[in-house]
Amino acid sequence: MAINLIPTAFLFFAAALLLLVLPQGRIRGAVLLALPLVAALQVFNLPEGIYAQADFFGFTLELMRVDRLSRVFGLIFCIAAFLGNLYAWHVRDTVQQVAALLYAGAAIGAVFAGDLITLFFYWEGTAIASVFLIWARRTTGAYHTGMRYLIIQIASGVILLAGAAIHYRETGSLAFELMTLGSLGTWLIFLSFGMKCAFPLLHNWLQDSYPAATVTGTVILSAFTTKLAVYALARGFAGTEILIYIGAVMTLFPIFFAEIENDLRRVLAYSLNNQLGFMVVGIGVGTEMALNGTASHAFAHILYKALLFMSVGAVLYRTGTSKASELGGLYRTMPRTAAFCLVGAASISAFPLFSGFVTKSLILDETAAAHYPIIWAALVFASAGVLSHSGIKIPFFTFFAHDSGLRPKEAPMHMQLAMGITAFLCIFIGVFPAPLYAMLPYPVEFHPYTMAHVVGQMQLLCFALLAFGVLMRTGIHPPEIRAVNLDTDWTYRWFMPRVIGSMARVISTVWTARETLMVATGNGILRRLYRSHGPEGRIARVWPTGAMVIWIAVLLGVTLMVNFAS
Amino acid sequence: MANPSKDDPDRYPPLGRALLWVDRPGSANKLFWGLAAFCVVLFLLDFTYHKHGHFVVEDYPGFFGIYGFVMFTLLILAAKALRVLIKRNEGFYGDKAIDTEAYPEDQLERVDNGD
Repeated sequence: MAINLIPTAFLFFAAALLLLVLPQGRIRGAVLLALPLVAALQVFNLPEGIYAQADFFGFTLELMRVDRLSRVFGLIFCIAAFLGNLYAWHVRDTVQQVAALLYAGAAIGAVFAGDLITLFFYWEGTAIASVFLIWARRTTGAYHTGMRYLIIQIASGVILLAGAAIHYRETGSLAFELMTLGSLGTWLIFLSFGMKCAFPLLHNWLQDSYPAATVTGTVILSAFTTKLAVYALARGFAGTEILIYIGAVMTLFPIFFAEIENDLRRVLAYSLNNQLGFMVVGIGVGTEMALNGTASHAFAHILYKALLFMSVGAVLYRTGTSKASELGGLYRTMPRTAAFCLVGAASISAFPLFSGFVTKSLILDETAAAHYPIIWAALVFASAGVLSHSGIKIPFFTFFAHDSGLRPKEAPMHMQLAMGITAFLCIFIGVFPAPLYAMLPYPVEFHPYTMAHVVGQMQLLCFALLAFGVLMRTGIHPPEIRAVNLDTDWTYRWFMPRVIGSMARVISTVWTARETLMVATGNGILRRLYRSHGPEGRIARVWPTGAMVIWIAVLLGVTLMVNFAS
Repeated sequence: MANPSKDDPDRYPPLGRALLWVDRPGSANKLFWGLAAFCVVLFLLDFTYHKHGHFVVEDYPGFFGIYGFVMFTLLILAAKALRVLIKRNEGFYGDKAIDTEAYPEDQLERVDNGD
């Protein structure tokens, strides 16, 4: 088929160009929906191999490397693009429509990149295209947030390029293959992936920017950037032990922040960060089954995370707010959105029969099998933490809890459809994991539905739910209040600007003082000179005749000496 | 509510009406004790099959339940303590953040139920 010769990313770019000449409305909507499906079919059917090579300043770029790892990520990216565009059917903003296509295309291009140069181009492409989904909100806050996001994302790309260049000097190869951490080049590439993957302390761009995007933009943002980074780590650094510890910390710290965050879309961003942690641990363990776990968890995660962002987005779309303190009791008039949200909540919490259960178990089991007891205990704890914010807090404080008095209409039909399909997929994967397992990078020998797995997981979740009940009844559970919480972004949003500001003040004060002192000293000298040598000065009194006589005498003397000597 | 008829349960979608049960007096109690009973069943189930986990603790009956209960409680308490340290006014970051901004009305479709 001719379509196999075209890299999947180019299909998206061509469609983005095509959009510009199409009128707004159904035709454009149809293209936005059809294209990801065509792309998904292409990705699904492409045999493994390398397609579409191009020469670039003496390097051979591999634009389309299809293997089992890249295919599963490419496929879920296409599905996410479809669901996101369906959810955004009502949007009549060309900027967002084009940005969504370019962004998805760049992410898919990066997944299929066979070399580091191609990866770099698409890496930056995702950064530049995605920021428009934040700016499309068109407010001052969104503009500044987008700027912060862009700076960090572009920096990640620049570090990747630097790492790739050094790596090339060291090894003479630009192939994007498994690397061993050690040299400066690989460390830089690792750091670059880590920034996009929201490693601890490098994470805050995620919680800062995702809640600032548009209703539909956040749904699209949630799918690509971070999972691209997970893919890149799985490709480049599988089995790197430090990832186990990084991942474990990633699963833990966001659950505390998510618990007390008021903006529900930011709660979901923290929760996203926590889920990435599980995937990173899987990459660190690095066995075939652990990598299967990471790939399948990324697949399932993109769906349930999109579903949760969609349901909160629908509430924002109907009520104008996504703050827990302002919401509550919406199940009355938005029951379907509430039901979809509960499916997403059950999936992310990994209840049996929902998608998270059949994918997270793989990672947990492999971590235990590789004998990391503390990491395993941390992951089990983090699983209870997921339940607390994504499983309970999101649906409970939005749709139940106290009645906010809001009676918004049910979400628009296309949003319901997008949520319905996503919810169906979450349940389907949970009930029939075999098709997903069959797509994973390595053969799967795993049975999630054993008595021990099911009862263990149900115990963990139900006892945690019970603890929630006890804490609510005793009034210990923290209330939802209007506030922001400091995180590492405080350093560059508040602290550094003030440090720089006060340093600037000190320096300018010293500078001004020095200048004043110099001027004063200079003036003093001038004044004294003027007093003695000025027209009224004492020395000036003898100047006109006295000075002339002296100088003529000196001149005569010199002339005499010159004559005498010659 | 400007229009009291909007709050008329008869105008809620059928699914929403069915769910109104959760807000009836006593329902929350029923849910809580029902959950507690279910937890007891889950605990007892641990005696009905042979466990062979990777770690010894996994084989203790009710390990996951107790671990879940304790860790969840500790998480909430720790988060409460964390809030004392890091909570700031919503306007802390000023106009360079979206925290106090209203979402642009022209990008929303705020409609009440029944309108």
